[in-house]
Amino acid sequence: MTDGDLLLETRALRKEFGGLVAVADVDFTVARGSISSLIGPNGAGKTTFFNMVTGAYQPSSGEIVFDGREIGGLPQHKVTALGVGRTFQNIRLFGTMTTLENVLVGMHCRLGSGVWRSLVRAPAQRREEAQARARARELIAYCGLPARAERQYARHLAYGDQRRLEVARALATTPKLLLLDEPTAGMNPQETIAFIDFVRKVRDELSLTVLLIEHDMKVVVEVSERVTVLDYGEKIAEGEPAAVTSDERVRTAYLGTKAAV
Amino acid sequence: MTRVALPVRLRLPALSARTRRRVTIPVAAAVVVWLLLYPWLYTSYLSNTLTQWLPDTSTAFVILAFTVMGLGLNFVVGYAGLLDLGYVAFFASGSYVAGWLASQQFAGVTISLGGTAAKGTPGIHITPWLVILAAALFSAVLGVLIGIPTLRLRGDYLAIVTLGFGEIIPQFVNNGDNIAGHNITNGSFGMTGIDGLGFGNRLHSVFSFLPANFLNEIDSRWYYWTALALVAITIATSILLRDSRLGRAWVAIREDEDAAGAMGIPLMRTKTMAYLIGAFFGGAAGALITLQASATSPDAFVLQISIFVLSMVILGGMGNVWGVLVGGLVLAYVNYKGLYAIGNTFNSTFGTNVQVPEYANLIYGAAIVLFMLVRPEGLIPSARRRSELHEEEEEEREAEAAAHGEIGGTPA
Amino acid sequence: MGTSARTATGSAARPVLALVPRLRGRVVSSLGVLLLLVVVFWLVENAVQNFDQFLLVTLNGVTNGSIYALVAIGYTLVYGILELINFAHGDVFSWGAMVSSTVALSWLGAKGGEAGFALFGSLVLTAVCAAAFCATLNMTVERIAYRPLRNAPRLAPLITAIGMSFVLSNLIAVFYGFDYVSTNPILPQGAIFHIGNQPYGWDKLIVLLVTFPALIGMTFVVQRTRWGKAMRATAQNRDAARLMGIDVDRAISFAFGLGGALAGIGGFVYLIYFTNARFDLGFRIGLFAFTAAVLGGIGNIAGAAIGGYLIGFIENYNSGLTWHALGPSWTESLVFILLILILVFRPHGLLGESLSTRS
Repeated sequence: MTDGDLLLETRALRKEFGGLVAVADVDFTVARGSISSLIGPNGAGKTTFFNMVTGAYQPSSGEIVFDGREIGGLPQHKVTALGVGRTFQNIRLFGTMTTLENVLVGMHCRLGSGVWRSLVRAPAQRREEAQARARARELIAYCGLPARAERQYARHLAYGDQRRLEVARALATTPKLLLLDEPTAGMNPQETIAFIDFVRKVRDELSLTVLLIEHDMKVVVEVSERVTVLDYGEKIAEGEPAAVTSDERVRTAYLGTKAAV
Repeated sequence: MTRVALPVRLRLPALSARTRRRVTIPVAAAVVVWLLLYPWLYTSYLSNTLTQWLPDTSTAFVILAFTVMGLGLNFVVGYAGLLDLGYVAFFASGSYVAGWLASQQFAGVTISLGGTAAKGTPGIHITPWLVILAAALFSAVLGVLIGIPTLRLRGDYLAIVTLGFGEIIPQFVNNGDNIAGHNITNGSFGMTGIDGLGFGNRLHSVFSFLPANFLNEIDSRWYYWTALALVAITIATSILLRDSRLGRAWVAIREDEDAAGAMGIPLMRTKTMAYLIGAFFGGAAGALITLQASATSPDAFVLQISIFVLSMVILGGMGNVWGVLVGGLVLAYVNYKGLYAIGNTFNSTFGTNVQVPEYANLIYGAAIVLFMLVRPEGLIPSARRRSELHEEEEEEREAEAAAHGEIGGTPA
Repeated sequence: MGTSARTATGSAARPVLALVPRLRGRVVSSLGVLLLLVVVFWLVENAVQNFDQFLLVTLNGVTNGSIYALVAIGYTLVYGILELINFAHGDVFSWGAMVSSTVALSWLGAKGGEAGFALFGSLVLTAVCAAAFCATLNMTVERIAYRPLRNAPRLAPLITAIGMSFVLSNLIAVFYGFDYVSTNPILPQGAIFHIGNQPYGWDKLIVLLVTFPALIGMTFVVQRTRWGKAMRATAQNRDAARLMGIDVDRAISFAFGLGGALAGIGGFVYLIYFTNARFDLGFRIGLFAFTAAVLGGIGNIAGAAIGGYLIGFIENYNSGLTWHALGPSWTESLVFILLILILVFRPHGLLGESLSTRS
């Protein structure tokens, strides 16, 4: 991991809600092309951290630099257009839209047809729509969704397919950095293994960088090149998975003081 | 994706797609032809007792114009999911633009651009179809302006703020006879003597073989056909945008605004677009109605109108252009003809003197409450809402199957 | 892809946009302070130019403000416990006024000019009837129109409330007609004292004598009684309240009942003071009272009361003061613009908690 090719960097990033400090002056880096994990006990501030990176939350202070640009304070849609895609911890698909439509929505910032072109159905718009649909179908297949799911309403999909759709939708935004928030929650062991392979495939074939929030230690150890641990909003450990998971501070954070002894 | 917990739900039979296509297309075509010919057909109905229930051409015009408003509001409430309680503001703005550009309001200047008033009449007199377009554009701009503070607010606050604007604008109109010394809106008197549809003397002066005053002032049937055209334009716009990138963005915002933002949809811009388009059609309808009425006054722009148009969207089927079309026609018919007819029949049958139309608002209010309780998706729900309905029925079927001992069996 | 991301030491280029939200907050607060200073200056100027008029208008503001306070509390109670803007609340207030007219005129035959005790007795009875009727009305509306939609998407109960508002106000028209309902002045019209040559009448004082005990009584009920506590607990955290054994449905009913009772008293006060009422009275008063509730901090009862008086002052200062006032024809717009400004720039009002902490 070369120091000179960081896709994401945060410096003293902080988020306070009234008196509560959710993220406390976190310095964090993600190397381009890597798969990293962000772990920590519940309430450690991981999702808040994600939300600041994607622009859902304004940082209270600190900086976020993505691909050379300061993005702290930018609205969500601009951050997404710059190349940050995400999935959600509790699935937030558009339930009354079909699978295909969900993916097409993900492409919104990559398509250009506005009101006028849509109203007159200009050839450029029709072409763009056809290409978008074709690409959406590719993504749906790439993420392992069955073809018949395409016309189903997202709310009717099986849980596993919904998770896959979340990823497909995030991929539709053509991200450089893919943020996955607890993607294996609720998966059984086979599904988890398949997912690990999928993350690697995505990173290798689509030249993405992946950052996961994860609770499943097996996944973390198996797939991450670098692990960062948050506890009460502070970074308490960082490094390779094996080293981090045997770090005493980390075990204390998860299991309590007695267990660390 | 939450389901409503109700004691009772009203379920209408769902037609299969094939039935729908086979039946509805010929029926729709017949209806369209009937509507086009209506002004002539109506005169032939006069001898029929049915005429008690059919609106005359002017009333039919008003019904269609208000339906345009319902279809316009559908962009805002139905597609984008923004509860707008101040839609009357655009009705007002469109109406007053018509007054500004087609009457003697600004008697200080004399501009004539194809209007029906005789050449040299003081004031601005622009050809009415341009006036309608101008009114629509002006209202669209007003919509953008109102949207700036409003559209960043959450659902119920958005509703109240739009309601506030719906109240403020008529008050500005009422006080508009003395803004820095200028009489802009003629205050509480409103404007009268507004030109109607027509070409003035243009046609004759350009094509001198035509008789003088040819289509100078055209009769009420042309208002009707203009309104019909406006309905068609609004429907076409709805469908074209619904099945486009913008339409998808609207549904996404309606469904889950935060997730929509995360997927790269610019929230303010997209919501403003819905508002703008809704305002555009509201303004057009307002101008058209005012041109026909030849007058306007601030008293006309009350909350009841916003709620009336909102009921069209809700009762018809939020987000489904056909539902709102039907809901609009039905509600406007009831308001401008139906209630009178019902009242007359009731009174003549029972010898009473109940002014049924006065209780229109009571009926709408009760209808809104009833619909929200037993059929919140409206008369003709959109396919997305229908899927919610069917999910319940499917689950019921599965539950029944399980209860009957077919546990573990998959439904057919 | 992109160029190398890392810069040397120090921060990367910071887009102006990142500064904007933080700057915006400061600009807005400064503008707000500036606006407040302008208003204060305007008030002081008016007071200096014509102190008698100023005092009179202020006292009028207290009178009107009392009515707004009573109604505003109802909005805030319901919003605090259900996060619902009870659109129909203003029309419950109207019903209070109408019921008062029926009780006072038809049943008790109050004609004004009666002896003290008889007047007092009939007023109390009327107020109690109005309060009881409106409490029941509000609770009934909740039961049939809002409770079934407890789990529906947020906008459904709001739309229903709008429908209910139309139903209630037009039902008044069914029973009382569309015209004004008038009464002869019931309250003693004499002046207690004079300011300049304008009288401050007994009727104004009686408004306060009714309102203050009502507010105090309400505070007692909310703070000290079992049901008040249950209501507050449910408003703070419905699930936790349920786990503590509180009957949440009853607590919500209680909130509606209490709010309705206050609206009923407000309607009673309105009728005996203004001596006329109409079926659509509730709309304007309701919107003003709702603005008051938002101004004070929606969900905060004390805030609602304070907001009510503030709106009373705003209304009367604008209509009654003479130096550079906009005049009564602009009062409604002024109040609505204030509502819009609050919701856009300071949605938690004066006393409310910062809403941005909630997701």
